[in-house]
This record gives sequence, structure tokens and C-alpha cells, in this order.
Amino acid sequence: METTDLNLFVRTSEESISGWNRSKIVDALIRETLIDRDSAEEISKEVEQMIRKSGIEVITAPLIRELVNARLIEKGLETSRKMHTRLGMPLYDVDSLILHPNKENANVPHGPEATNLTLAEGIKKEYALLSVFSQEVADAHMNGDIHLHDLGFIDRPYCSGQSLEYIKKFGLDLPHSLSMAKPAKHAEVLLAHLVKFAAALQSHFAGAIGWDAINIFFAPYIEGMSDGDVKQLAQMLIFEFSQQAVARGGQAIFTDINIYWEIPKHFVTVPAIGPGGKFTGKTYGEYEKEAQRFAWKLFEVFKEGDGAGRPFFFPKPIVHITEKFFHTDGHMDFLNLISDVASDKGNTYYVFDRGETAKISECCRLSFKLEESDLLDAREPWRMRYCALQNVSLNLPRLAYMAKNDDTKLFNLITERFVLAVRAHKEKRVFMEKLLSLGENGPLALLTMNRDGMPYLRFNHASHLIGMVGLNEMVQIHTGEEMHDSKRALKFGIKAIAHMNLLTEKMRRQENMKIVLEQTPAESTSYRFARLDLRYFSPHAGRIMKGDIASGEVYYTNSTHLNVKHAMNPIERVTTEGLFHPLIEAGSISHVWLGEAQPSKEAIADFVIKTFKHTTNDQIAFSPEFTTCNKCHRTGRGLTDACSYCGSTDVDGITRITGYFTKVSSWNKGKLGELKDRYRNVEFFSEKRKAAND
Amino acid sequence: MPFTAPDCPAVKGFIETSFVDWKGHLASVLFLGGCNFRCPFCHNRDLVLNPGGLEDVPIEYVVATIRKYRAQWIDNIVVTGGEPTIHMNLFGLIGLLKSEGMSIKLDTNGSNPSVVKGLVNDGLIDCIAMDVKGPLDRYSRWCGINVNDRKVRESIEFIMECGIDYHFRMTVVPFLHREEDVYTVAAELQGAKDLIIQTFRPDVTLNAAFSRIKPFPADKMTQIKANVSEILAGSGKEELISPRRLGIAGSETEQDNLYQQ
Repeated sequence: METTDLNLFVRTSEESISGWNRSKIVDALIRETLIDRDSAEEISKEVEQMIRKSGIEVITAPLIRELVNARLIEKGLETSRKMHTRLGMPLYDVDSLILHPNKENANVPHGPEATNLTLAEGIKKEYALLSVFSQEVADAHMNGDIHLHDLGFIDRPYCSGQSLEYIKKFGLDLPHSLSMAKPAKHAEVLLAHLVKFAAALQSHFAGAIGWDAINIFFAPYIEGMSDGDVKQLAQMLIFEFSQQAVARGGQAIFTDINIYWEIPKHFVTVPAIGPGGKFTGKTYGEYEKEAQRFAWKLFEVFKEGDGAGRPFFFPKPIVHITEKFFHTDGHMDFLNLISDVASDKGNTYYVFDRGETAKISECCRLSFKLEESDLLDAREPWRMRYCALQNVSLNLPRLAYMAKNDDTKLFNLITERFVLAVRAHKEKRVFMEKLLSLGENGPLALLTMNRDGMPYLRFNHASHLIGMVGLNEMVQIHTGEEMHDSKRALKFGIKAIAHMNLLTEKMRRQENMKIVLEQTPAESTSYRFARLDLRYFSPHAGRIMKGDIASGEVYYTNSTHLNVKHAMNPIERVTTEGLFHPLIEAGSISHVWLGEAQPSKEAIADFVIKTFKHTTNDQIAFSPEFTTCNKCHRTGRGLTDACSYCGSTDVDGITRITGYFTKVSSWNKGKLGELKDRYRNVEFFSEKRKAAND
Repeated sequence: MPFTAPDCPAVKGFIETSFVDWKGHLASVLFLGGCNFRCPFCHNRDLVLNPGGLEDVPIEYVVATIRKYRAQWIDNIVVTGGEPTIHMNLFGLIGLLKSEGMSIKLDTNGSNPSVVKGLVNDGLIDCIAMDVKGPLDRYSRWCGINVNDRKVRESIEFIMECGIDYHFRMTVVPFLHREEDVYTVAAELQGAKDLIIQTFRPDVTLNAAFSRIKPFPADKMTQIKANVSEILAGSGKEELISPRRLGIAGSETEQDNLYQQ
């Protein structure tokens, strides 16, 4: 039979309807797979016959493709079938996506841009699992042995740390942009450059964009400005980053700003860049007062909150507490101010840089210790650009189910999974190298721009993160006790992380890759692992799972944290959790959940100083809870069902999900389960037990 | 260090680390049972009415914990109740805490000025926080029992002049207090360092009917606090004090109904 006999129309992907043409099947098979022409012809004829028999008059191109795939399977041509696969989504899914919010990441609002993001992520995720990663790695991700973070952003690095000095020195001169801006002459223009560059970077990275020492690098521009103008600038900076929810997928740019009260040692003698991109003739050490003035005003703005008195979600202010901090004038006043913000709004992150280490934070809890070569870079701070290519987390509880109380087996399994995670990193790295090698004509042109003798993204400096979820549950399954239950259980947990730390060292040398251990934020991962383990390891998993199985609000405890529900003196929590932090190079955090309580700023400041002096904890944050009213637009403390001002029940809860604040209504079920469990230290922080709470 | 427990009142509750009980400091908190007042809005019902039903915290445990955190974390402790000053052997307890090197804050309702005086004169306490329940001329109304308000006035006078750090506190309870009652208290304490205004929280209350009272809304409390600090500083606002303004709190009859329920 001849193809022309078939009176059939095909709705193609090019938004047109064509007449039937069997040779298109043959062309596609030969172009996309390794099949020979005869087999291709044969398959196309079989498919044609089948369609003819069905009597159908209009058929879609995707359906033809699947019919061809069915033939490939019948003939045992599995490799060709994979290469010929079509990526896409069922109508039903697209429909519900467009109508209903996506809860995987609470930082994504619901709207047409967000839907685009989710749809694109869906296809890129499939692409990544089919084409970027080996079957073994992809399968391990699919069944929840490991989690490859941000697969929907497979064609970008994961997160990054930036230097404002780059745009101060080179202006805003981005590849393919419509205009080029020379280095800023005024503080406001520099701010505009910063915001635009951040937006450009957001579309080239999957996760957080961190800015180092922002108050110090702004300082030369602030000289001579009145306090009122500096406050105005601080306000502009914070509102710009908190309201930029119009960029990628309607997401705010996940922004961290690193703030120092003192000028850190590695910047003291560095020549400062000022207006017009020129050296001012002074060093940053001489700008201490200006830098402090800006830091102070930034926190004044954080304290006031947004127009409705709510905490700003972004940018996240990360304050570095160092030995030098305590030898710098005015540090107690500043510590009280940021602690007031911590108690009232929760924004402040305290990062502890003890001893001689200098660190730069760039993600929820990701911070890099600056190494020797980095300190050389610090002489020319525009070179201080860092990134992590990818983040892979291990499902630790699952290994304990499998090890059946056998120590050797458990540690072997950890090693196996770790090696698998390294393999995933190598595969992503190869893919990224391919994209970057396309240079200024490739998709990552921005990251390859070369203004200072090296590409913007310094590939050889890139890190590869390996995280963990549910150490507490792994210990619980294996030893029968949670880590807060006994010294023995805690020690076992430390032993496991020490083992991972050792593996990191070994693999780093073996693969010559910068592999770094980190505490996974695991906003959706802990929920995903929990659900998958309930499926594959019940009934055992059901007894271990945190949260509420009946409502599906299940989760594993994040990273190396202790059970969030356990009533624990905050001193014990930061001390005990801090034991893990020196083993986790990319940075860690302890959360102190405040609930509705508002402790005194001096008590928080006191606690922070003592945490710095007497523990090995790397970072702490205090998280209050709020209820904001959609009717009267005021914000009260605590998570309540009704507005404490007007009584309306049209309210949203706000608190910290993992590394940032957001509305509770956008949380996934696992996180909701955790929220209910969080031990809010009411005993320690509020007078609720007494006649009042203030 | 060997340790022999002296004659001490039973400790009914112990919080190792509190961020709120001593303004400006991390502190531990000790709760003693029993109280000579019966404030209907009191949150520590069991501690006041049935201290015997609460388990004792061994003083040895308290001392061991204090020693554990003393060097690095906490060297302040708050002694609260109930009402600590009703215990004859309070001096033994506070002396013990003092000898462990702690700074001590005493929470009191001011009904036993002689005890407070004794503690201050012996150099045993470093700070006093006194709850003022309402305007002094109708004190029995706020406290649920007949109170000799002369004693309360004596305490206030002593605290303001004794030379150690102090705080006055008042919990504002709608229906029981009118807004101007708060300002009356502020005027009575004029010249004091501060008067901390606390929002009533209707959870468990000594008089169950009070758990149905809704606290004043947050912005009203902010306004009240602002007025209080002005009055305390002696800057007029007398018009707020006179009982002309009604309508914020309920009528006396409404309040009486509440008691009967």
C-alpha cells in the first residue's frame, strides 16, 4: 500500500496540520537513534498499517511517536527507544499545574510565570535523568536512595557567591545585552547595577546568590552621604530584593547579603574601589565607619519590616561574628541591634568565624572557608566569585533499614552511596563543561564572559556538595535511640558524619574535584525521602517516621539536626548540634524556634556571645512566627487562626521554612508536619506559663 | 564541692535557661509554691492553689545544674512563685544560691515589705521585680482577697529607694481593668525607672471565667504602653487618669457577673 492512499492528517508540533507522510517516521528514527534504514522502514510501515486499521482521521505527532516506541520495544531495541523518547506532560497534569499552586519550593508563587517555570523544570528534569546522568544515578534518584537537587535547572550551576567589586570595576557589560553601562558613579546607580546583575545571575544559577561584605564594598560610595540618605539607600536595597518577585518564575531572587561590623583582616589593606570604578587611594580599612553606618541602617530597616510590619523574606542578612568583632568599637550596640531584629523579626543569621578562618556564606547554610589562594584573590576582590555546581543528598535512614543493625554493612552502604553521589557530580560536571565550552555563543554566555583574564565562572574553583537527610532517624533505626536520647546514640551519629567527612577527603584527592560536605536544607527532599521509604520500607519506616502518617504530613529530620520536637534547653541544642559542625565544611546551622515569644535582645546577644565562645556551632538563627492579616494588613505574633487586631480569619502564617521566611500556606506537607512538631522553647523564651507574655 | 542542703522551701519548678525572666540577661528560674493572693487572672493556678500536688524539684538537682552552666552560660537566677516571700526559710534558699555565686532577682507581689527589706539589707538579692496589680486604693479588687494596701505602698516606696535594680510590672486584664486604671498605676509610680505593661493571656486562669476574656488588641496595647511611659516620666496626660472615659472596659455589673460564673 502507498502512503498517499492514506487520507490522514497529522497535527504536528509546529502548530500546523500536515498530510500523512510515512517517511517522516523513517527520517526521525535515523536522525535520533542508531537504527538501520531497513528496520526504520519496516517499523514505519507497521505503524502506518496500525493507524490505517484504526480508522482514525486526525492523529497527533506525539501519539505517532509513542506508537513507534511501542514497535521499538517489541523488537527489543531498548537503546534506540530511549533515544527516541519524547519528553512532555499529560494534559491532566498541565491543567492542574496551571490552576493550582506548586508546593515543592515555597519560594515559587503561583502565576503564569511560575507555571512556565514548573513546566520547563518538568521537561528539563526528565532530560537530565535520561540524558545527562547514567541510568544507575538516575535510578538512585528516582527510587529515593539519593536526591539530585534542582534537576529542573540541570543546565545551570547550583548556587554562587558574588563580589560587588566586579560591577564596581567593570560596570554592567553583559553579553548580548542591549546596552553597556560604565562603572557606577553614585550609590543609587551602583544599587541599580547590583539588582540587575543579580537578576541576570538568577537566570544562570539554580539557587542562592550571595553577596560578600556588601556594607564594606558600598562604603566608598557612602562617604559624605547624610544618615537620612544612607537609610534611604538601605531601604531601597532591601525593598528591591524583597519585591523583585517578577523575575524567573515569579520568584524573588534568593539573595544573601554578608555583613561585617569590622573590616575583616583580609580586606583591611586592600585598595578600595570607589565611584567611576576608580581606586580611591584609600584602603577598605579606612572605610570602617562608613561600612558600619550602612550596616546599622540596613538593620534599622529590617527592624521596621515591610509596609505591613512583616519581616522581609529576602535579602537574608548574614552577620559574621569573628574574634575581631569583639575588639571593634561599638560591637555591643550593633549586637544588641541585630539581636533586636532577631527577636522581633527573625532575619538575623549569626555566622561564627572562629580563630583565623575567613568565610563567605552563599546559600541557606552554605559557606566556604577561604583558602590560601582565595586570600590572594582578596587582594583583588572582584575575583572572589564562587559557585557550587550541584548538590546531592543521601537518604541516610534508608541505609539503616537495609543494614539491619550491622555496623560494617551500614558504613559500607554509606560509602557506596557517597561514591554514587560523586559519580553524579562527575556526570553533571561533564555536561556543564560542554555547555560552557560553547562560550559566548552558548547558553551560559554570561558565565563565560571574560573581563579580567578569566571567565566569570571559575570552573576550577567550583564545589560539589554532598548533603545528608535524616541522620537522627538513621541512628534511631540502627541503635534504637534518637540522638538526644543518649550519649551513645549521639556518638554513633558523630561517627557516621566523621566517616562521611573522611570520604570527602579521600574522594577529593582521588577525583581531584572540590567535594564538600554540607547540611542539606532539604525543603522538599526530607518529605520525598520519607514518602518513598514509607512505600518501600513499611512497616518499619512507619514506626520511625516523624510527623503524622494519617494526614501524610511525614518528614525526616533535616541533615544532622536533633529531633525538632524534643524539648531541649537551647544551650544544649546549640552545643550538641554544634558538635557536628566542624565536620561539615560547607557550613551548618542550628535553629532556635521561638514561636510567638519575643525574648529580650540583650538576652539573645548574651546567648550569641556565649555560643561563639563556648561551642563549636557554626551558625544560629532565631525564628519567630507571625500571623499576617489579608484584611487589615497588620501582622501579629504567633501562628493564630484569626487576626489579633481585627479578628478576621483571612490570615496567613509566616515563619522560617528552612533557610528563609515564607508564608506557611505555600508549604509542602512534610514541612507542615515538621511545623506542628517544632519545639518552640516556650518555656525558655516566653512568660506564657505566667500571667503574661511581652 | 560537697553539698548539704540547708533548710529550704520546696522548689516546684525549675527552668535552666530563660530569655525573658530577667530583662537583659540569660537567667535560670526557680518557682516556689503557694501564694497569699488570689488574683483571678493568675496563670499559675496549681502553683497557687495546690502546690502540694506538684512534684518537688530536688534542690540537689538545682545546684548541680547551676554549677554545670555557671562558668560559661548562666550566672543569674530568678526566684519566683507563687509568692516567694511567704516562705519563712526563703533566706536559706537565697543564701544558698548566693553562695553558689549567682546574681539573684526576686519576683514579689509586695505584700511582705519586711522580707524584701531583710533580703536587700543582707545583700542577698541583686534585683527586685514587683507586680502591681492595679490602682492601690482598690487593691483587694485585683487580688481576690483582702489586702493591706499600706504594706504594698511600703514595698513600692522601699524598692524605689533601696538602691538596687528593680522593675515594676502590671498585667492588663480587660473587664477587670479599665484603661485608665493602668494610667492611675503609672501615676502612682511616677518617677519609677520603669513599669512593664504585660498583655493578659487567656489560657489557664485561677478563676476559670477569666479564660474567656479576650486580651486588648495589639495596637491598643502599644498605645497604652506609650501613654504609660509618658505618665511615668511625669509629663501630664492627667486627662487619661480621671475615670471619665468609659466604654473600653465593661461596667461594674458586667464584671460582677463574671465573678459569679
